Amino acid sequence: MNSLDLLTAAFSGIRTNTKRTAMTMLGIIIGVAAVVLMISIGRSFESYILSQIDSFGTNTMDIIPTGFEKFGGNLESLTIEDYERVKRLSTVEHVVPVIIVGKPVGYGREERTPMVFGATESIFGNYGLEIDQGRLLDSADEEGALHSAVVAYQTSLDLFGNRNPLGERITIGEESFTVVGTLQSVGSLLLSDMDKPVFIPFSTARIVSGQDHLSYMTLKTVGDPDIAKRDITELLRDRHRIKNPENDPDKDDFIARSAEQVTSIVSSVTMGLTVFLALIACISLLVGGIGIMNIMLVTVTERTREIGLRKAIGARPRDILLQFLAESVALTCTGGIIGILLGAGTGWMLSQIANRVLGEFHFVLSLSAIASAFAMAVVTGLVFGVYPARKASRLDPIEALRYE
Amino acid sequence: MPSLISLSGLHKSYFNDEVETAVLHGIDLEIDTGEFIAIMGPSGSGKSTLMHILGFLDRPTAGTYTFLGENTAGKNDDDLAAIRATKVSFVFQAFHLLPRATVLENVLLPLLYHPGIASIDREKYARKAIASVGLSDRAGFLSSQLSGGQKQRVAIARALVTEPALIFADEPTGNLDSASGLQVMEVLEKLNAAGHTIILVTHERTTAEFADRIVHIKDGLIESDTSSHKRRKAGADVKLK
Repeated sequence: MNSLDLLTAAFSGIRTNTKRTAMTMLGIIIGVAAVVLMISIGRSFESYILSQIDSFGTNTMDIIPTGFEKFGGNLESLTIEDYERVKRLSTVEHVVPVIIVGKPVGYGREERTPMVFGATESIFGNYGLEIDQGRLLDSADEEGALHSAVVAYQTSLDLFGNRNPLGERITIGEESFTVVGTLQSVGSLLLSDMDKPVFIPFSTARIVSGQDHLSYMTLKTVGDPDIAKRDITELLRDRHRIKNPENDPDKDDFIARSAEQVTSIVSSVTMGLTVFLALIACISLLVGGIGIMNIMLVTVTERTREIGLRKAIGARPRDILLQFLAESVALTCTGGIIGILLGAGTGWMLSQIANRVLGEFHFVLSLSAIASAFAMAVVTGLVFGVYPARKASRLDPIEALRYE
Repeated sequence: MPSLISLSGLHKSYFNDEVETAVLHGIDLEIDTGEFIAIMGPSGSGKSTLMHILGFLDRPTAGTYTFLGENTAGKNDDDLAAIRATKVSFVFQAFHLLPRATVLENVLLPLLYHPGIASIDREKYARKAIASVGLSDRAGFLSSQLSGGQKQRVAIARALVTEPALIFADEPTGNLDSASGLQVMEVLEKLNAAGHTIILVTHERTTAEFADRIVHIKDGLIESDTSSHKRRKAGADVKLK
C-alpha cells in the first residue's frame, strides 16, 4: 500500500459517514480555531500597542499621583510648583500640567460625560492630536483663562451632529464655554479613546474645578527617558520629602510612567493572556482528541469484517495500523484546516470590530500559530489514533471475518 | 514437479485457559496445481480450520505444510500476509464486499497489497477480472446495488484479480438461491478449466459434485479422498485406511 493508496483510503474512510465525521471533527475545529484566534488576536493587539508607541513617541512620560491607600484618598500630591520645577529640568523638553474636570458637558438638550482636560496647549502635540476645524488652544486662552474649548471628533458629532460647532456655546458643569476648534479622529491612544475628550485651558480648569493640585503631568523627555525619569523622581522625592534610597515604588506618592513602560506592561499582560487562552485551547484539542479516539474505536468495531477481509487479501498488520492512523490524522487535519480558516476568519472579523472601536487595529495572522495549531492537530490525530489503529492491526483475521 | 500443497501429520489445537481443544488430528494431503478439490464434512469437523491453515490465515500446531515446494514453518505474519497477497485468495460465503464501494473498487482492493502490480496497471487487471465473471456492465455499481449472485461473482473477480496460484471458496453458494448458486459454480468450473487451482469448502453434496476430487473430513481426520473418476467407477466413496 503506497502513500497515495493510504491517503485515498483514509479520506474514503472518513467520507463514509459524513455527519459523524463532522461531529467528531468539531472538537478539533474548535480547538484549532481557538489556538489560531487567541494567538492571532494577541499578536494583533501587540502590533497595535507597538504602533501606538510609534505614534505616541517613546519619549513621552506621565507623572501620576499615587498613594490612594496610604494617604486616605488624597491624590493631591502633584502641585503647580512641582510642575514649575519639573519644567526647568534639562532632561525634560516640555511638560503639560493636566487637571481633569469631572463635570458633564452639555449643548442644548444634549449632555455627555467625556473627560474634560484642563491643560496647556502642548497637550495636543504630546498626544498627536490635530485640528479638524477652527483652532487649537493657545497662549492667549491660557493667559486670559478664557472659556474656550476644543472638542474631540466623536463628542463633537454627539453634541452637534451635522451643525458647525465653531462658535457654539457648550456648558461644562455650570460654566459656559465657546467651541473654538474640533479635532480630527485619532481613535485610541494606549486604550484611551482620544475621540471623546474636551480640552479647555489649564488656567480656566483651575478656576472652574477649584483645584490647585494636578491630576497628572504629561511630558516629553530629552535624550534617554530613563535619565529623565531618574531626574524627575529625585526632584519630586526631594520636594515631597520622601526618603526612598531602595527605590520602593510604594514609598513614593507619584509614579513616573513612560509610554514604553505602559507598552511593556500591556505586552506582558497580553502575552500572559495569550498563553493562558492558548492553553485553554489546547485543553479543547485534548478533549477533541479523546473524541477522535472514541469514534475511531467505534469505527474499528464497525469495520471489523472489513479489517478481516483486508487481512485475508494480504494486508499486513502494519498496513492496517497505517490505514487507521491515516484516517485519524486525516480527520484531525481536515478539522485543523477548517479550524484555521474559522479561527482566522473570526479573528479578522473581531479585528474589524476592534478597528472601529480603537482605530488603527490591524489583524495580524500569526503564521507560527497556524503552523503550531496544524501541527497540534496532526499530533492529536497520531496520538489518539494509535490505540484504535493498533487494536485494528492486531485483530485476528478469522475472528474478524466471523464478526457479526 | 512438487505438489502445490503437501500436508504431513498436520495438527491444530486451540487453547482456552490452558484447556486444549484439538481440531485436526494429523492430516496428510497432497494437492496438485490445476485441481478442483472439495473439502466436505459436517459442522465442527475441522474443514474450515483446514482451509484457514491452507490459506495462511492460521498456523498448524504441529506437522508440516509445504506450499509450492517450500516448508511454511517459521514464516512470520508479514510472510504469510505476502503469500495471501500474491499466491492465494478467498471467496467467502458472506461475500465480504465493501458496501459503499463500487464493483471496480472492490475488485481493486487486493491489488493495494500486491507488490508486483504497478498502480497504473491496477485498473486494467481489475476490469479484466470483472469481465471474466461477466459483470463488465456493473463495474460502476455500488456492491450494495447487486443481487446475491452478482455479489458472489464480484467476490470471485476480487479473488482472481491477483492471478493467484490457489483460490479458496468457502461455502460460496451458501447465501444464494439455487440458480445463482449454479451460476457461481459454473464460473468456478470455468476458472478451473482455465488452469486455476480451486479448493472448495462446503457441506452441500451438490456443490461438491462440481469438484474433480472430494475430501471428506470427520472429527479432524480425512475420512475419504475420492476423485470423480473413482466416484463414477465405484459409485461410492473410497474409505481411507
